[in-house]
Amino acid sequence: MEAEASIVRPSDYAQADRDILRVLFKPSAIYIVAVLLTATGCVYGLWSWWQQFTWGMGVDGMNQASFWGVYIVTFVFWIGIGHAGTLISAILFLVRSRWRTGVYRASEAMTVFAVLTAALFPVIHLGRVWQLYWFFPYPNQRSLWVNFKSPLMWDVFAISTYFTISVVFFYCGLLPDMAIVRDHSRGMVRRVYNLLCLGWRGTNRQWRHYMAAYGFFAAFATPLVLSVHSVVSWDFATANLAGWHSTIFPPYFVAGAIYSGCAMVITLLLPMTYIFGWKEYVNMWHFESLAKMCLLTSGILTYSYGMENFIAWYSQNPAEQAIFWWRATGPLAWAFYLAVFCNVITPLFLYIRKIRQNPVTLFIISLIINVGMWMERFNIVVSSTAHSLDPNMWRMYTPSAIEIGILIGSASWFLLQFLLFIKVMPGVAISEVKEMTPAPLKGSLEAS
Amino acid sequence: MSTVRIKGTYAHLDALLTGIERFKQAGITGYTVLSPVPRHEILDIIYEGRPSPVRWWTLTGALAGLTIGLLLPSLTHAQWPMINPGGKPVVSLPPFFIIMFECTILFGGLFTLAGMIMHAGLPGFFMDKSLQDPRYSDDKFGIVFAGAPEQDVERITTVLEKSGAVEVTTGDDAIYEVPNA
Repeated sequence: MEAEASIVRPSDYAQADRDILRVLFKPSAIYIVAVLLTATGCVYGLWSWWQQFTWGMGVDGMNQASFWGVYIVTFVFWIGIGHAGTLISAILFLVRSRWRTGVYRASEAMTVFAVLTAALFPVIHLGRVWQLYWFFPYPNQRSLWVNFKSPLMWDVFAISTYFTISVVFFYCGLLPDMAIVRDHSRGMVRRVYNLLCLGWRGTNRQWRHYMAAYGFFAAFATPLVLSVHSVVSWDFATANLAGWHSTIFPPYFVAGAIYSGCAMVITLLLPMTYIFGWKEYVNMWHFESLAKMCLLTSGILTYSYGMENFIAWYSQNPAEQAIFWWRATGPLAWAFYLAVFCNVITPLFLYIRKIRQNPVTLFIISLIINVGMWMERFNIVVSSTAHSLDPNMWRMYTPSAIEIGILIGSASWFLLQFLLFIKVMPGVAISEVKEMTPAPLKGSLEAS
Repeated sequence: MSTVRIKGTYAHLDALLTGIERFKQAGITGYTVLSPVPRHEILDIIYEGRPSPVRWWTLTGALAGLTIGLLLPSLTHAQWPMINPGGKPVVSLPPFFIIMFECTILFGGLFTLAGMIMHAGLPGFFMDKSLQDPRYSDDKFGIVFAGAPEQDVERITTVLEKSGAVEVTTGDDAIYEVPNA
């Protein structure tokens, strides 16, 4: 609460407009360098993908046993990243949490861009991308529809719903703010923003239905926070494969997703706050709240790590025991220990207030968490297939340079989208900041 | 009957609320209140707690989604009853619950969006020019009559001025011309 009290509220509505709109459209040198770097990463990713088009899936490290490599690991990673955005924008809205206001716009943007990035991976993994339409529920020439009992089809529904609702929620939140940008612009820019905000004017009629709809969007998005990664986890849990076939997977995946998402919000917002001078609107109170979310969810993850190992031992199932022993002692043990270090040990430092409130240490911890969560998915996805039930099918998996190139490309694509967004749309929700600002009051009115 | 544009601009919320209250007491209608932020005080006075009809769109969408989520997998699987993966029943509800859940959310959300757009009068590109004032997205509030009956002009301007409007304009003066727009 001490940190909350230290927030400098804008003195009036107009100041909020000025402070937040100040960073739009005018790129600094650091910004241009960041855009060029991420664009280069995207080109490298595209080149790597082109190699896969040209030479086929043989350029990847996957084999008959390890059929899900870096692509599915990265898909799960990016879907997970999106979760914190929905949690912050929807759940914290419903419970009227005050620290949401400063960070929710950037978190929602992160959600949309993370899901857009994730959606590339099933397509890349497909190999023959021109047959993408096979994913969708439609009857083929024999009127045979897709198999709705398959967890992969549940995934299609879960992720497309998640993406659609996230975009709708995000867009609706942007409507009043895009109108503010319009009213501070001239010429063609003004006309473009007028189109984007659908001619929003802030009439009593508009606010009335907007507020009602916004509440419903939040209510719809809330169960999605829990359901999407649960459905993703069923891709694994419904398979009869040691290390995957576990009922603990849904809560374990959801906690991991929120954990990595909150860390990513810190990674993205912390430098931006200092570069753009938004300390009045986003400060250590917000970041400390995010750090506490990481701490809570890392506790759930630690419990899940322990519990799945305990159950493997307690179940007396030799295949389960073998895979967990192999994860800790086999050739991929480095991935296991790196995940444990990043996700179990590192977040414990967040218990120390000085570390939690120091922007440098918090930023470093958030980076470590991001690495750890990618390694966790690598550990789950790769080890169970590389060391499955049949010893004759044991094949090691090593990611190829092409897969790593596509991974780098995806991270660059995600960051590039975010960088472009932050220069054309308000990165802090202006109309919600204004709601937090005391309304201008005249006090005593003249007697009429 | 000829009509006139009248616009009262307020710098303070309490003055705006007084203005709305006095128009209600005088039985004068046909105005639009503009605000840079959603303030429940404004909506409470105007709508007296009546909920937005958007909720019915939400309910309709959610029920439609639930139905589609049940019928789509059930009917398509029943069309090919010989395909029976894993020995499960052809129409097996537990896996279909997931499709039903997702469709409920998806259609509920999309219908809510459609309801909001329709009831809020969006897109609002062709609103009266007196309502298109950039000050109302910045830091000012407004009560705007896009077409007030000529005989009420004096009564309305008096209420606006006495309730604390910092600027009252009528006719073409009520149109805010944005420089270099």
